[in-house]
Amino acid sequence: MKVKIKSWTGVATWRWVANDDSCGICRMPFDGCCSDCRLPGDDCPLVWGQCSHCFHIHCIMKWLQSQQLHQQCPMCRQEWKFKE
Amino acid sequence: MAAGKQCDSKQQWEVIKKSFFIEGNLSDISDGEDDLALVIRLVQQLGAGQLVLDLALDAIWVALRQSIVPKFWSNFVIYNSQRCGKDDDPGEGSVEVMSRVATAISELYDSAVSFLPQIHRCEMLCEHSGAKFEECIPGGMMEHFKLHLRATLHSQMPTSFTNLLHKFYSAAFKVFYHAEVGNQVEESDETTDEAMQCGGCDAATDACHCQAITNTFCQVNRQLLELDLLERLAGDIISSLLLSVITDHVSATCRDSYDQSRISQLEKWVENVVIGWLEVVYCGGRGQLSSADSAIQTMVANNLNQTYMTALYHTYTTTRIDQLFNIVIEYPESQPALEDIRECLDRTHLRNHLVESLRSAIQTRLLHPGVNTTDVLHAYISAIKALRVLDPKGVLLELVSEPVRQYLRGREDTVRYIVTSLTDESCSELSEELLVAAPLVLDDSHSDDDNMDFWETWTPDPRTADIISMLVNIYGSKDVFITEYRTILADRILSQFSYDTEREIRYLEHLKCEVMVKDVADSKRINSSINSDENPRREKQKFPVSCMILSAQFWPSFKEERLQLPEEVMKELDTYTEAFQDLKGNRTLNWKPHLGQVQVEIELKNRTLNLTVTPTQATVIYHFQERSRWSIGDLSTITQENFPCPCQGVLQEVESDVFVLVEGEELGDKGHTATVGVSQPDIAPPAIEEDEAESVMASAQDQREEELQVFWSYIVGMLTNLDSLPLERIHAMLKMFVQGSVECSPQELRAFLDRKVRQHQLIFTNGLYKLPKN
Amino acid sequence: MAQNVPPGTVAASDSNKNNNERAIAGRDSHSVSKRLQHELMTLMISMDKGISAFPDGDNLFKWVGTLTGPASTVYEGLSYRLSLEFPSSYPYAAPTVKFITSCFHPNVDLHGNICLDILKEKWSASYDVRAILLSIQSLLGEPNNDSPLNGHAAELWANQVAYKKHLLEHYKKANGESK
Repeated sequence: MKVKIKSWTGVATWRWVANDDSCGICRMPFDGCCSDCRLPGDDCPLVWGQCSHCFHIHCIMKWLQSQQLHQQCPMCRQEWKFKE
Repeated sequence: MAAGKQCDSKQQWEVIKKSFFIEGNLSDISDGEDDLALVIRLVQQLGAGQLVLDLALDAIWVALRQSIVPKFWSNFVIYNSQRCGKDDDPGEGSVEVMSRVATAISELYDSAVSFLPQIHRCEMLCEHSGAKFEECIPGGMMEHFKLHLRATLHSQMPTSFTNLLHKFYSAAFKVFYHAEVGNQVEESDETTDEAMQCGGCDAATDACHCQAITNTFCQVNRQLLELDLLERLAGDIISSLLLSVITDHVSATCRDSYDQSRISQLEKWVENVVIGWLEVVYCGGRGQLSSADSAIQTMVANNLNQTYMTALYHTYTTTRIDQLFNIVIEYPESQPALEDIRECLDRTHLRNHLVESLRSAIQTRLLHPGVNTTDVLHAYISAIKALRVLDPKGVLLELVSEPVRQYLRGREDTVRYIVTSLTDESCSELSEELLVAAPLVLDDSHSDDDNMDFWETWTPDPRTADIISMLVNIYGSKDVFITEYRTILADRILSQFSYDTEREIRYLEHLKCEVMVKDVADSKRINSSINSDENPRREKQKFPVSCMILSAQFWPSFKEERLQLPEEVMKELDTYTEAFQDLKGNRTLNWKPHLGQVQVEIELKNRTLNLTVTPTQATVIYHFQERSRWSIGDLSTITQENFPCPCQGVLQEVESDVFVLVEGEELGDKGHTATVGVSQPDIAPPAIEEDEAESVMASAQDQREEELQVFWSYIVGMLTNLDSLPLERIHAMLKMFVQGSVECSPQELRAFLDRKVRQHQLIFTNGLYKLPKN
Repeated sequence: MAQNVPPGTVAASDSNKNNNERAIAGRDSHSVSKRLQHELMTLMISMDKGISAFPDGDNLFKWVGTLTGPASTVYEGLSYRLSLEFPSSYPYAAPTVKFITSCFHPNVDLHGNICLDILKEKWSASYDVRAILLSIQSLLGEPNNDSPLNGHAAELWANQVAYKKHLLEHYKKANGESK
């Protein structure tokens, strides 16, 4: 007997490759979306800082805007720089 | 004169007696006015006015009592004995009845009329002698006479009379009806009969005596009217006849058809037929009214008209209420009937009857185990819609539908059926319902996320969307419904990989499954990108892989299963994952190996099978390439799957839990193996049969204990910080603050808290719950 | 159509004036609620020993917290109530946290105001109620005596026995008053 697979339709869940499960700012899971968004993934992406911490882009932008003096990572207080 | 006084007095008395027929023969009354004047003067002289009047009147009453009335009734008594008491025997034809009644009435009339001179004399006597008749009776002497006649007739009426008179009026009505409407209506119906028989009098057409009946009838009525006997003798019969005519006509008109408004047609019918006939009865025919009859005319126009219209509405509404269950089921075709009922309900007092009747019809016809849930649901929806027509305020609906809701709550499969119906194309009524519901326009600034206030405050279009919420409200909780909905939608998407999302999108937004639907669409795009010819990986591919890529947070939780796929397959899936990572930087995939759909070609010695199978089935059959005999235990070890499902057409269980590959068809010719799961090439059956397949999602019920545990931690939290709280506050705060709060009724909460009190984890004093110290 | 949109949407589009601002304010308060609800859940499920908090009544933006003094400090066994008020810009701005139970401590004034850097210039959006309560709890055992709000407490701190005596008297009096 020979079994030949002609096509395979599978099921998978996607997830961000990140150190943490949820955003340190809004507390929502990375695989969900920030509290201002409705759709996860492309519509509510993550960004990484050079300190390697990551957040929902909407969350970190809001945080940086709220800081007058220094642009620091909320987690480690290092100066925030986006990872290229 | 003076000399003859003595002997004259006897003579004079004889004269008086003769003139007033005291003790005399009533039949030879003479009209000599001159004589009368003399006699009256004589009576006057004697001062015997009162005596004479009393005697004269008494003579009349005796005549009535002993001769006229018994004679009149004897007409009917004879009839009665001839017929051996069988009053309902239709033996005597309408002609005989007509003539019997007419003769009797005619005789009575003549006898009564023959008293007129006598009455007249008495009147004269009163006038000139100052004698008075019984004062308590209003009206003149004539009225007095008629009253006595009526009373005497009534006191001696034989039982058969009513039947006979009923027959009489029925026959007359039939003739009238035939003349009025029969010609138009029955022409087509009774073409055969009509050639030979008249629809009015049942006689042969060439010997039709309709006109004769009508004439007789009019004469009888006129005579009775003149004697003021019509209402007394025939009033009840006429009204009961007409009421039964109305009932028959209404039920004939309304039988099994609800798709036309009947009420104005029936109103016209009553006006033409019922009122028209009454005019004939009371006025001797339409257009023949003399001015003297105008009082009667007014009575007919106002009083009777109203009476019979009311009767019509009542009969119509009652008839429709008896049919209401069917009317409800046949909505919207039955819309006209419902509008009729609504109109009539305002004119009758049948609301309560309607509720009672429909409730009991629903109870006996719908709410029993013989009716499947889908049908109950459809009936429920029809009832919602139909009763909205009857009563836009929804009071009737509330009263009638509560038992249905209660019943549906008790059926285990209800949620599933509702949800299935919402998405199933073959059961379109519900999904159509959702599609007509106006779509929600969601402003981006107010996303409808997990927050409860969306559902709490959403005001649906009362006409359509309301039906969805009424279905959802069977459960009192939107969350139970939504959880189940998501589970079913997930099952559906993951079993039909070609899921058409177009029709879902509009109303899924109501149910917060937007992301699920978007996942399906996104997956399509990603698959076509990854599998496009430009993708360099495609070259090395052994078989094409596509994937349903889910946003885990927005799907129901999956039952965890760790199926170990064959290495060859794993390699291809890994390749797909890499392609996905390239496409979506920083994102990767977690495969659910046991979910999916696989197309395999199985080459056997003498045949080739093309099958669509589940990954588990594919994996099992794949391993039979290495060995042709496997035990379940070995298979489980190698696939990490607890219950591999080796029920393929190519496998046979040779001993308990041991399967072998069937290469040829010789073992399969009895149908044990050959066809199970085998499909015709190109026609793929769904890999998972909807009703048989166990849900791949964890059931909502399984999570209940966990939820209660969550509640408990909130309760501890609030009591730690707010000291002591009553049940209502705890319930309200749970509802307010527990995320994605699952409905917990105050009763359920009380039971839960009381259990905690018994376990000494809570203290309950003065209606307040608090935590024990330490 | 108006009938079929959530009332919030209707409200936002009803008035043209300040339409944008209102929409943004609405969105903010909405996502803050969401965050606070999330925090509450985490706090409830974690069931930490010695710290707890819960919304005070119907208002999700005003919480009552409870913490007990850390073990092997003078505050051991004492329990304090606090109030937490969250601004609409939370977590990008810190909540206002005060002691409700009168607290004798170098960094707490008579009105319950707390001098703690993470509630002021060192605030970070990554902090939450749990982090705040844990910080205040550890502040009890490790006061910052360089910049005291309560000079008497700061002076007394060096003598732990005298400090504890005074503290217990103060605590008893405070709790007697509150009852």
